[in-house]
Amino acid sequence: MNETRRRGARVRLAVAGAATVALLGPLVWLWVGSLTPDTYSVMDMGYADYGGRTPAPAAGLPDHSAHLMGAGMHGHAGHTPAGRSVTSFTPDPGRPADVAVTLTARRERFRLAGGRSVDGYTLNGTSPGPVIHATAGQLVQVTLVNESVPDGITLHWHGLDVPNAEDGVAGVTQDAVRVGGSFVYRFVADQAGTFWYHSHQVSHEQVRRGLLGALVVAPAVRPPARTVDTVALLHLYDGARTVNGREGDVRVRALPGDRVRVRVINTENGETPVWVGGAPFRLVAVDGTDLNEPSPVRDAAVPVTAGGRADIEVTMPADGAPVRVHIGGPTGVVLGSRSYDPPAAPRPTTTLDPLSYGRPAPIGFDPDSPDRRFTYDIGRRPGFLDGRPGVWWTINGHMFPDVPMFVVAEGDVVRVRIANDSGEPHPMHLHGHHAVVLARDGVRATGSPWWVDSLDVGDGETYDIAFVADNPGIWMDHCHNLPHATEGLVAHLMYEGVTTPFTVGGPDGNAPE
Amino acid sequence: MKLVYKILAYLVAVEVAVQASMVVLADAGLGKWVEQGGVLDKAAMESDASPFPEVVGFMVHGINGMMVIPLIALLLLISSFFTGLPGAVKAAGLVVLLVVVQVSLGLLGHEISALGALHGVNALLLFSAAVYAARRGRAASVTAPAQSQARVGTAG
Repeated sequence: MNETRRRGARVRLAVAGAATVALLGPLVWLWVGSLTPDTYSVMDMGYADYGGRTPAPAAGLPDHSAHLMGAGMHGHAGHTPAGRSVTSFTPDPGRPADVAVTLTARRERFRLAGGRSVDGYTLNGTSPGPVIHATAGQLVQVTLVNESVPDGITLHWHGLDVPNAEDGVAGVTQDAVRVGGSFVYRFVADQAGTFWYHSHQVSHEQVRRGLLGALVVAPAVRPPARTVDTVALLHLYDGARTVNGREGDVRVRALPGDRVRVRVINTENGETPVWVGGAPFRLVAVDGTDLNEPSPVRDAAVPVTAGGRADIEVTMPADGAPVRVHIGGPTGVVLGSRSYDPPAAPRPTTTLDPLSYGRPAPIGFDPDSPDRRFTYDIGRRPGFLDGRPGVWWTINGHMFPDVPMFVVAEGDVVRVRIANDSGEPHPMHLHGHHAVVLARDGVRATGSPWWVDSLDVGDGETYDIAFVADNPGIWMDHCHNLPHATEGLVAHLMYEGVTTPFTVGGPDGNAPE
Repeated sequence: MKLVYKILAYLVAVEVAVQASMVVLADAGLGKWVEQGGVLDKAAMESDASPFPEVVGFMVHGINGMMVIPLIALLLLISSFFTGLPGAVKAAGLVVLLVVVQVSLGLLGHEISALGALHGVNALLLFSAAVYAARRGRAASVTAPAQSQARVGTAG
């Protein structure tokens, strides 16, 4: 009887052990498979997606027919040296700079206007950093010096379609600038509009803590008399909402009849609404591109995507009444205030939809016969991200780093369908290009051409966008809710025949997200 | 192993209580902050910085709910294999199932708010299941003498 009982106990232990292995085995396998090497090239990430075309035989991409990293491969594959390096895409090196700026980055405790003390990062002693002003066609040269930011820094010119070597993405287009180092960025500001710059090294932390600033490119023709131009850069420091680094209202002088352009820049990780109390307004530009024939609007809020910009134009009332431009709340920019500030107006219930705002105009290419078609499907599922358990974002059903590498050739017309079924909105940002919105949820755009570099794709929404692949290089295509990028919502767009010598990780600790 | 099992089961129950308290703490803090003039939009919501101190409740709720509790539930299931207590595996399995349902409801509640309401109800089920699982050992010790007697009887 004792024998039977002992055998029974042994069998029970064996069954328990087997059940444990059956339960943990797959988890351990998934966990190991999710580990990313300390150093890797973004070219080794995931799998190539040629958008329905057969790959060119001399493509710079190594023989990636199968999934590489993320499917059990660890370590650097090594590249065929054929192909053109991202570092070769620069403006004419012999051309002198028209605008030269030096930005020195420091880690320090600084004071916001209003007195709040913030432990963060500054550029030339302030955050936001200085506004860089240029006129369309000028060559801008920015010397970035890292005095004391321990993780290293870069600067990315958000919305400007600069040559790839100047894009400022650590580990893709350059190495992070270590303490004591510097880097010179040169680009022609060929598009008039509102842009911003920010670090693309440990960006989810460095942007939040202040490594950012505005960049305004004025049109080559002088603006007519009686126009006022102002920047309103939204940023939260330690939870405190600021415009141009100031808590509370920013006051701008304007006379009755003046046309005021307020360049709203959302440097945050989520969308913010902008509305105007006291006068009608026009939404004259989105993401640095003027809209065609924008009509005056009253009682509507303009959504400003995370990373995106919206230029609001107000003609000051003839009776001298001041106007309040609300940025996400009761505060914002107060225009033409003299004896009294206008009271806060509640957020209008209607939201302006750029899909049907303004009038159509030619976009310069035919999006209906594209050379490549991609889908960028955003989902979410449980799993491991570099060994961390959680519920992580997926791209086309795959989890980082097993994500698509979108491959194009120079001159291609590219269509992308971005669909989001992840439960949360995602402000998608494609580097180096502006894309035009063709349709949302199958409804075609009927307004002004709506060019974006930052597009808020709501949960359950589908956007069709198109662009011309006219800026060769390797470009990030990621969620600008920057913590989401660290959670794997990052892919790249790559031109055939282009390679990068830089790696994520490595001696410089490159960490673009 | 019985003790480990029991501790893990009670730990799930305690964690459910922590979850409930943290999310209400954060909600209360949010309400107070808005009353005092704070503005919540997507930009403020997604800002990593904390506009009000109680926001820590949301963070704890997220990390606890999506990582810590699933891990404890998994360990509970594994430990249940080794206890030999009648009904332990089933009880632990129920806890794991309810945790899966709970996380799903929590995430889907962002899309369909009514599922968030079920998230609240399911929390009570999960709490009960965890306590039920923890008390398996006790139930076994009460019925054990009768069982061994019966076994002797059949053997004889």
